[in-house]
Amino acid sequence: MNGYWHILKHELFGLFISPSTYVASFYFLSLLGIGFRFFIEGFSNTAWILPPLSSLVVGLTFGAPALVPFLTMRSFAEERRLGTLETLMSAPVGSFGLVLGKWTAALFFFLIICALALCFPLLLWYGFPEQAVSLGFNELEHWIGGCAFLAIFGASFTAVGIFASCLTKNQMVAGMLTFTLLTLYLAAMAFTFGEHQNISSPSDLSQFLQVGLGSLNQGLNKAQHFAVGIIDLSTLLHQAVLTFLFLGLSTLQVERLKH
Amino acid sequence: MSAESKPLPIVDVINLRKRYGLVQALKGISFSIGKGEIVGFLGPNGAGKSTTLRILSGLIPADSGEAKVCGVDLAEEEGEVRKHIGFLAENNPLPEELRVIEYLNFRANLKGLEGSRKRERIRLALDACDLERRIAERKIGNLSKGYRQRVGIADALLAEPRLVILDEPTIGLDPRQSAITRKMMERLRGDVSFLLSSHILSEVEACCDRMIILSHGQIVAEGTMNDLQKMFINKTVFEIVSSDSKIDLQKAIRRIDQSCELLYDDPVEVLSKRRFTFSTNRGEEKAEEILRALIKNEELSISEFQISRPDLETIFLRATKKNWEVQDYLGRGKKNRSAKIESHKPKTS
Repeated sequence: MNGYWHILKHELFGLFISPSTYVASFYFLSLLGIGFRFFIEGFSNTAWILPPLSSLVVGLTFGAPALVPFLTMRSFAEERRLGTLETLMSAPVGSFGLVLGKWTAALFFFLIICALALCFPLLLWYGFPEQAVSLGFNELEHWIGGCAFLAIFGASFTAVGIFASCLTKNQMVAGMLTFTLLTLYLAAMAFTFGEHQNISSPSDLSQFLQVGLGSLNQGLNKAQHFAVGIIDLSTLLHQAVLTFLFLGLSTLQVERLKH
Repeated sequence: MSAESKPLPIVDVINLRKRYGLVQALKGISFSIGKGEIVGFLGPNGAGKSTTLRILSGLIPADSGEAKVCGVDLAEEEGEVRKHIGFLAENNPLPEELRVIEYLNFRANLKGLEGSRKRERIRLALDACDLERRIAERKIGNLSKGYRQRVGIADALLAEPRLVILDEPTIGLDPRQSAITRKMMERLRGDVSFLLSSHILSEVEACCDRMIILSHGQIVAEGTMNDLQKMFINKTVFEIVSSDSKIDLQKAIRRIDQSCELLYDDPVEVLSKRRFTFSTNRGEEKAEEILRALIKNEELSISEFQISRPDLETIFLRATKKNWEVQDYLGRGKKNRSAKIESHKPKTS
């Protein structure tokens, strides 16, 4: 954990002064804002099961593959390309501290952008309080559940991005790899949406694994729980496992680069 | 001095080995560096210099052997060792978007410096490398190669290191900037030990106390300039400028040293004088004795006498040539062996 805080500060500074971060954030928020406007306009005519705020959260999650690569692709790929990773490693900094610092910075920035996106319903509430109440924007549990959902999925998504960035010296390759991995994961979640597994007798190993690991792709189903403020522990655990798995793999990759 | 009272070496390397795939980069090298020494690390490309420096700075692990920096074993406490080391990597990669002061601030934080001590160390490092305030405020990406190199050295000096490892510190620098780097090392001589890798031999000769010459992952020579001269040049060469004839001069010299040989004589620009180059295999003392005898001899008129010492380049070429020859021989041996094996293989149609 040596040097974690300093790496974090340095990375945040790097993200704040990088034009690509601002360009990506601007387009992401603009598109999301336009989508949110039309969604709210037509919401009363649809049979959508999630409340509008949770829909925005799910929208943010599905938009993440377009945003996360911009936040993570530079972290290791650019350092490797320039050779500054070697200079960094010559200081008393541990590999895990380095990975954790870069990941926290990316996650922090992702959450800032999510916070800016969550300003859309707040602005609506400020401008049109009655309509906002009718859409459920005054429900505190929606906000808590939505923020928790974004935080845990943001953590795992940025961990995937950091891992992809460790694998190559080319930022574009790292970005595309992150985009592909996240899109595949979200596609798996979307295709299995609505399926429910029977956990009556997890007697044999395959069934046990299916139950244990199978719900990794049930994130969207669990979004309904989060929407009403229920923090689903299995989703929390699964995303934590994914996060630590990718951070662990990233640390191993950084260690491997030394040899 | 007894063995017990001998100061602990700053670097102690014993039988260090490293392999990259099929290539044995280091074949068991051993050396040590004392406190305040400036040691030149020389060798042709691919000799294993950068690998050794990277192992010593804790960037890569060795396959086997022992490397201690300030008495701390690298294999056991890599993080602790890094606190005692300042490292300037080859090509000196730096983040271009940061200002010099921001970069040094970040590096000082990573190296555990805080508060007033951090500010003081940054100021001292900037001063040591002649980086004025105006330069410190500029973005690294906008600096010239010379200034970037100085920023790298300032970073290496930040945390009061006891050992500074400089991998090609003057590569691409103009002579003035190289001289500034040398001066900086001179100023710090005694407090800090330097391990300097360079291909610019004149520079190493000018500022290093000792040299280690590496070739094919082995140390082929080690010692002070005098040691290396004795080791690789077994004949003392001296020059005489005189208006006397070659035969008279040779006769006078042969009376003192039978083994002395005239290598060549060239005309000097001054009318009727020539420069005679002799060699003796009886050392510098004999050459000095010859000089004294020639001066006493009233029949001869000697206007100049000079013992020419071989420069580091000559020594380097001889030291590495031996190793190249051995490697070539081994290579040929291998080739011959494989050729024999090939010839014994049954031919298939």
